[in-house]
Amino acid sequence: MNMKFAKTAATIIVALSAMVSAETLTGRDIVQKVHDRPDGDTRSSELSMTLINKSGAKRERKITSFAMDVGKDTKQIMFFRYPNDVKGTGFLTVDYDDINKDDDKWLYLPAMKKTRRISGKSSKTDYFMGSDFTYDDVGQRNIDEDTHKLLREEKVDGIDCWVVESVPKKGDEIFSKKISWIRKDCLIAAKVEYYDKLGKLHRSLKVENVVQVDGFWSIAKMSMENVQTNHKTLLEFGDIKFNIPLDAKTFTVPRLERGL
Amino acid sequence: MTKQSLAALLLAATTAVAQESPFQFNGFVDTYHAVQTKHPHDFTTSRTRLRAELRVDYENAYLFTSLNGVHNSILEDRTGVQLQEAYFNYQNDFLEIRAGRQIVVWGVADGLRVTDLISPVDYTEFMSSDYDDMRMAVDGFRIKYPGERVNAEIVYVPVPRYFQMPMQEENPWRPELPEKASIDFPDGPDAKFKNGDFGTRVSFFLSNLDFSISALHTHNQSPVTVAGYDPVKDSIVIHGIHKTMTMIGGDMSMPLGEFVLRAEIAEYFGEALGYASNLDYARKNTFNALGGIDWYAGDNWTFMVQYLHKYIADYSHNLAAEKNSSEMTFRISKELLNNTLKLSLYGMFDIDNLAYYARVSGDYSVTDQVMLSLGYDHFGGKRGQLAGYDKNREIWAKAKYYF
Repeated sequence: MNMKFAKTAATIIVALSAMVSAETLTGRDIVQKVHDRPDGDTRSSELSMTLINKSGAKRERKITSFAMDVGKDTKQIMFFRYPNDVKGTGFLTVDYDDINKDDDKWLYLPAMKKTRRISGKSSKTDYFMGSDFTYDDVGQRNIDEDTHKLLREEKVDGIDCWVVESVPKKGDEIFSKKISWIRKDCLIAAKVEYYDKLGKLHRSLKVENVVQVDGFWSIAKMSMENVQTNHKTLLEFGDIKFNIPLDAKTFTVPRLERGL
Repeated sequence: MTKQSLAALLLAATTAVAQESPFQFNGFVDTYHAVQTKHPHDFTTSRTRLRAELRVDYENAYLFTSLNGVHNSILEDRTGVQLQEAYFNYQNDFLEIRAGRQIVVWGVADGLRVTDLISPVDYTEFMSSDYDDMRMAVDGFRIKYPGERVNAEIVYVPVPRYFQMPMQEENPWRPELPEKASIDFPDGPDAKFKNGDFGTRVSFFLSNLDFSISALHTHNQSPVTVAGYDPVKDSIVIHGIHKTMTMIGGDMSMPLGEFVLRAEIAEYFGEALGYASNLDYARKNTFNALGGIDWYAGDNWTFMVQYLHKYIADYSHNLAAEKNSSEMTFRISKELLNNTLKLSLYGMFDIDNLAYYARVSGDYSVTDQVMLSLGYDHFGGKRGQLAGYDKNREIWAKAKYYF
């Protein structure tokens, strides 16, 4: 995609979003807008994940991530760089837009010198690398896996937001509902609250820094706190790039095994 | 310039050099000790190891070296510095070449061998190492075509290596042998061109199915034992017999909701099999099949079960092995405390001998660098190797530091 065109398109979409009155938008419309927010055909970033337990002890994870859109589907490959016990581990995912199709996932374990095919379904609800983010949180959750309802509009830190409640259609999710405060200016959530099966607040996501790179809005820093265990994960994205030259061979098992 | 800003500048410079450096140096120190739970409560394993890994990158190529410095308190001949891996790797979009000492892993089985016959296994301390630590590297060449959906490779190992077995007299894992018997197990065949292992594997990675087909000219790496007489020592000698054989097989891995189905099949042509009398061996064609199910049950629970079956064609009742033999393994694991604690139960059943091995363990990540593990190994059953190890029921502890 031409960068100048992309930047202009992104500006127009955001401007149009703000002009449309809330009365004409449904919860699903808003989530669809978030899903359709321009983010280039390809992208990469350096992730730094800090895990903080309730006593304040910290652990770190460092990951390099590449992603590419193929039609409505998304391919993503991640390489773990730190800590050293998982260094070289690779994770390849194909996120399908089709709600009836499970994602494809492969995990390369350098100690075993082997790639494992893993379930694309159940791992979505597991926590990612000991963090407070599930695989679903760091991947792309299909819009129609939840029923969305626009609750109200309100400001968060002075920024206009839509407040949308999303309830999973299936009972095998780890949350019973989530409430998202979606910024109107950039179509990124300012915060999200996840509620457990008993309806109690379980996890709280706060997006602490949003940046514009090459005309694309992107999260630079966010935190997820499990308010029931007081465990917190800080996720920072560095060296964010959009529309970089990547081809299909970047997202293959041989590439996963080859490493960075 | 303040001290703090100078320190920050130095730190930034060091980080920049480290990031741009073509050298990557990693490794770990681990110490593992196991003691019998039964009288006389001897140590069955006691070793400390330094693993140092160095990778040097240059454009599309890199050199990788992995060394083990080991102090083994029980097996003195295992103390020293050992070259784990050392190879040169070159890659471009269409080709990957790797030459040198390397570990080659084929197939989809977990700890069992059907098509995964290139890198042998070190059973010197039975299974007191992690399975990936037990794999032995081979000196060979590997050429791979890394396609988008298809991956093809050719492997050539000029001088193959055989399994290492627990045969030292002081080794608690040594099987019981006749009195005064000596052992003659070779490390590998003579270094001749005709003795090389060579094979090929073509793998396909599809949306809902991975599968491979493979062919390998190799040896039976696990020794077939044949007893002889040494007139000089006036004693029985147990020879380890290794003969060439050809394997043709395949494997598949298929996700199905929360499950992943795995399978491997292989025909071994001319596999050497020992007679029950231990006085000779025969060459037979055997069919080997493995089926496995992994269940990713969510909430960090994982269940895995595997079944392996071997069928000997043109069966002779003189053989030590049954016409049909089978074994099973299972693994249950659960991760807790934000994945810092992993509890596992692993089991292996030798169905024909009604014998079993079970390991229960806990691994705790104290920090990103330090891991502590504690476990218990239980052996039992009617007959066979696993039943014979019942004296070695053990409790063990391991500490590992990554750098």
